Amino acid sequence: MKKSFSLVMALLIMSVIMLAGCGTSSNNGSSSTKSEKTLHVVTDASYAPFENMDNGKMVGFDVDIMNAVAKDAGYKVKMDNVGWDAAFAALEGNNADAGISAITINNDRKQTYDFSLPYFQSKNEILIKDGSTISSGKDLKGKTIAVQNATTGQTIAEGILGKNSSKIKKFDTTPLAIQEMLNNGADAVVADSGVVQAYVKNNPDQKLKIVDDPSFPSEYYGIMFPKGSKLVPAFNKAIKKIISDGTYAKIYKANFGKDPDLAQIKAEQAKAE
Amino acid sequence: MNFRWDIIAAYAPFFLKGTLLTIGLSLAGIFFGTILGLLIGLGKIMRNKWLAFPFSLYITIFRGTPLFVQILIIHFGFVPLIIGKTNSIFAGILSLSLNSAAYTAEIFRAGIQSIDKGQMEASRSLGMSHVQAMRHVILPQAFKRMIPPLGNEFIVLIKDSSLLAIIACQEIMYWGRAMQGQYYRVWEPYFTAAAIYLVLTYSMSLLLNYLERRLATE
Repeated sequence: MKKSFSLVMALLIMSVIMLAGCGTSSNNGSSSTKSEKTLHVVTDASYAPFENMDNGKMVGFDVDIMNAVAKDAGYKVKMDNVGWDAAFAALEGNNADAGISAITINNDRKQTYDFSLPYFQSKNEILIKDGSTISSGKDLKGKTIAVQNATTGQTIAEGILGKNSSKIKKFDTTPLAIQEMLNNGADAVVADSGVVQAYVKNNPDQKLKIVDDPSFPSEYYGIMFPKGSKLVPAFNKAIKKIISDGTYAKIYKANFGKDPDLAQIKAEQAKAE
Repeated sequence: MNFRWDIIAAYAPFFLKGTLLTIGLSLAGIFFGTILGLLIGLGKIMRNKWLAFPFSLYITIFRGTPLFVQILIIHFGFVPLIIGKTNSIFAGILSLSLNSAAYTAEIFRAGIQSIDKGQMEASRSLGMSHVQAMRHVILPQAFKRMIPPLGNEFIVLIKDSSLLAIIACQEIMYWGRAMQGQYYRVWEPYFTAAAIYLVLTYSMSLLLNYLERRLATE
């Protein structure tokens, strides 16, 4: 009896270790072969107007771009809303083929992931309540800033207040960070212009103001892949193609209500190549 | 998988800060939750149905909705309503206490009702009032029986405090996620957090075991 018990325990412990080791790579794994043409694309769909849920359907600029680019490259797409941190983890563990989630291309991320050519130019902006005295990044010194965890907005806030300052409140999503400011838990939110502008447009009754600090750097979004992914060249080709054939401009206008600065994005792509 | 100890070392001071806050939040949650739970549990066993009803309702609501949702409602709704702005530590203690109270109330109720009726009758016939009998005879006996389920609840509460990361309450899990966001690595931050929680919960169970032995009569 005793012997069988310890055997069962040993088996249990073994299986737990095995499970922990392989995580969830069983059936949503990466499609390395060309035969299954559906790509598993991860995203964090709480980032309007780039990707958000609309009555259970995923919509937004990134979703449209992903569909257009993948179609051009000859793939089907299955978008999976896993959340920001989990999206990174899935790509790092090779449990997804690509990620599109308003992800800024930067050198830190390039160490662990591969990126496509840039497909969107963005800037961080400061969101404040009407009546706030903040008029530039300098004014944020000593103030409490709410940001979305692990975004470039957090990097900017840390540049002003210091790394891991307790005056920086990191939230899971930008809407939560904005909610914190609305409830006087923070003086300002630093987040991507696309999201900030969409939020203000959709909530005119909340009396919010956007401050643009010219010293905040421009950044570019790219589609993220696991390190060494074979999909990158095909996607790069497709991104260039949708820009040249007008699809990109159409998608841009549909989502942001204005025309894109194609010259700017093309110049950045040329730099990246 | 190369496990990077250096980044854990870099985040050690933050994990330490987070651990202290987690301990503080948990102790406050346990303290207020237990007191509140006792009152609600006693309220629920009142003979008058109408008086007991609000207490049952409280338990139903707080036991029947996810703590995650309660935290968000309290942080973004209830706390700003009272003090005019958000405060994650206040909201954290409040949500942990209110949630825990619903569970401890049931533990207290069950514990009290498990004591033989004759005990109450005997104390009353000795001339004690109902309250005195409760305080000196029933509750001390009941409390001994409640230690294991209460211990369970306290351990769950310590682990549940990790949910407060969602409202940027700077406890263990908050720093774990901040670390994950900084280095884009999954194993180091979450294993570190898990290990700290394990130490906390294990210490808790040792403490409760000691308490149980101290109160053992046989």
